Amino acid sequence: MTALDFEASNEAQWLELEKAVSGGEKTLDPERFLFLYRAACEHLALAEARGFPAPLVSRLSRVTARAHQIVYRQSDLGLGRIARTLMQTFPATVRAHRWYVLVAALLVFAPAIAMGYVVAHRPDLILSLADSTTVEEFGRMYDPANPAIGRLRDAGTNWMMFGFYMANNIGIAFQCYVSGIFFGLGSLYYLAYNGALGGAVGGYITSIGFAGTFFPFIATHSAFEITAVVLSGAAGLRIGRSVLLPGRLPRVASLQIAARETSVIVFGSAIMLVIAAAIEAFWSSAPWVSPGAKFSGAAGCWLLVAIFFLRRARAD
Amino acid sequence: MGGVHPAIDTIVTAETPEGISIPIRPAGFAVRACAFLIDALIRIAILSVCAFLFSLGRRVGVGLYLISAFVINWLYPVLFEMSAGAATPGKRALGLYVLMANGLPITPAGCLIRNLLRAVDMLPLLYAFAIVSILLRRDSRRLGDLAAGTVVAYRHEIERAGGLAGGVPIPPPVVLTKRQELALTAFAWRVDRLTPARAEEIASHAAGLSRFRPERATSDTPMTDRLIGIARWLHGDRQ
Repeated sequence: MTALDFEASNEAQWLELEKAVSGGEKTLDPERFLFLYRAACEHLALAEARGFPAPLVSRLSRVTARAHQIVYRQSDLGLGRIARTLMQTFPATVRAHRWYVLVAALLVFAPAIAMGYVVAHRPDLILSLADSTTVEEFGRMYDPANPAIGRLRDAGTNWMMFGFYMANNIGIAFQCYVSGIFFGLGSLYYLAYNGALGGAVGGYITSIGFAGTFFPFIATHSAFEITAVVLSGAAGLRIGRSVLLPGRLPRVASLQIAARETSVIVFGSAIMLVIAAAIEAFWSSAPWVSPGAKFSGAAGCWLLVAIFFLRRARAD
Repeated sequence: MGGVHPAIDTIVTAETPEGISIPIRPAGFAVRACAFLIDALIRIAILSVCAFLFSLGRRVGVGLYLISAFVINWLYPVLFEMSAGAATPGKRALGLYVLMANGLPITPAGCLIRNLLRAVDMLPLLYAFAIVSILLRRDSRRLGDLAAGTVVAYRHEIERAGGLAGGVPIPPPVVLTKRQELALTAFAWRVDRLTPARAEEIASHAAGLSRFRPERATSDTPMTDRLIGIARWLHGDRQ
């Protein structure tokens, strides 16, 4: 069969498919579209094998490439899918990475506790992590005389702080995740640094006697905030490990798998950080809520987070 | 397609379950830099409008501005690349789009990862990692693309004008290999874009095909016309 015969006997199908891919695909019945697509694929393979002229081959190649994009398109991007990802895939992925989460948590809490203990006894050591102006600001932020806890007197409204907390915290979480690509060293550093800084601030505030405002302030939103940073860091450690120890895969392939599997953790962490920022701006800093109420709220939030990640742990 | 000169083309192919390979023409550094600049200008424009509107709102406005700056900087590419065209306005303006390296349409995870890892590509400054990666790789992917398994490619292939040159069909005097047939048809399809002297010069390389039955071609017939004749015959014109 020559190219001309081939074209003459199949042209009608190609024209129909070309019309369908150039926008009219909704008017065509899916069965028919798939039939035409498979036929065009077969014709393309035949045309290449028989050495038919380049224009014919490239015409078929163009139309099959367009049709391929349509056939394999993900049409399901609705709210149901997002909800399923957040409510099920996210905690399941976190559970699957429990060892990474444990290491990341240790990397945050060990320096935090150590620095907290040391700085509470020798407050000047906080200067090894932050300069004196910043330290002095921390002190004023948690002064019980301050009308809004956790921020400077002139800092602004709840909404402004919500925006600030969100951008700042999600930035830190992204940093912990993304820097894992450098063999995990970036995640190690940012987790330990943020842990140490947080612990040092806690120790410093305690040493100057403002613990009564500081701990009720951080208790509630930290359920979401610290958890989200730990999870992002855990995902970053997984990324680092995939580059450092790719096993039997090429490094790039190993990285791709790790990135695909952990992306849901980062997505979930970002949502948690938005929640944390809202709590921090509107609840934690409110002076009219008594410390007792804040601690009760905090207990509820920590319980909620724990249940969210641990429920149905046996099912998978 | 790519089979004749694979070494000097940037086309990469992705095999599909149907057993065909889809050619992907990756977008190089220059065009992607232009797309990035367009997107940057659009982002700056949107942020300026936000800054103006929210400046009316005093301190609540500052919070809203911070939120919108965050959303625009991080979600701008994600939202556009997950929408129907799979491209940010800058990419769309230059005829580019994002797809998975295996030829499939971009997935939400792929889109999220490639834009998250922008943070790495930006290092140490001015997207240096991305630029080095794009320049070194044949498929012009930055680190985010590698992790996500995505590639930025041209949406449309350039269609060459012109068709098969006219002439008397001539049966090939010897049995031709597939490679020779391909070379002949490729020549016959592009001869209209060559000067006659250049066409004859190229055709003279096929002087081995000079034995013809006299009713089809004589020794006076230019080599160009003889090759076009064979190509027409191969294509199916047997008159």
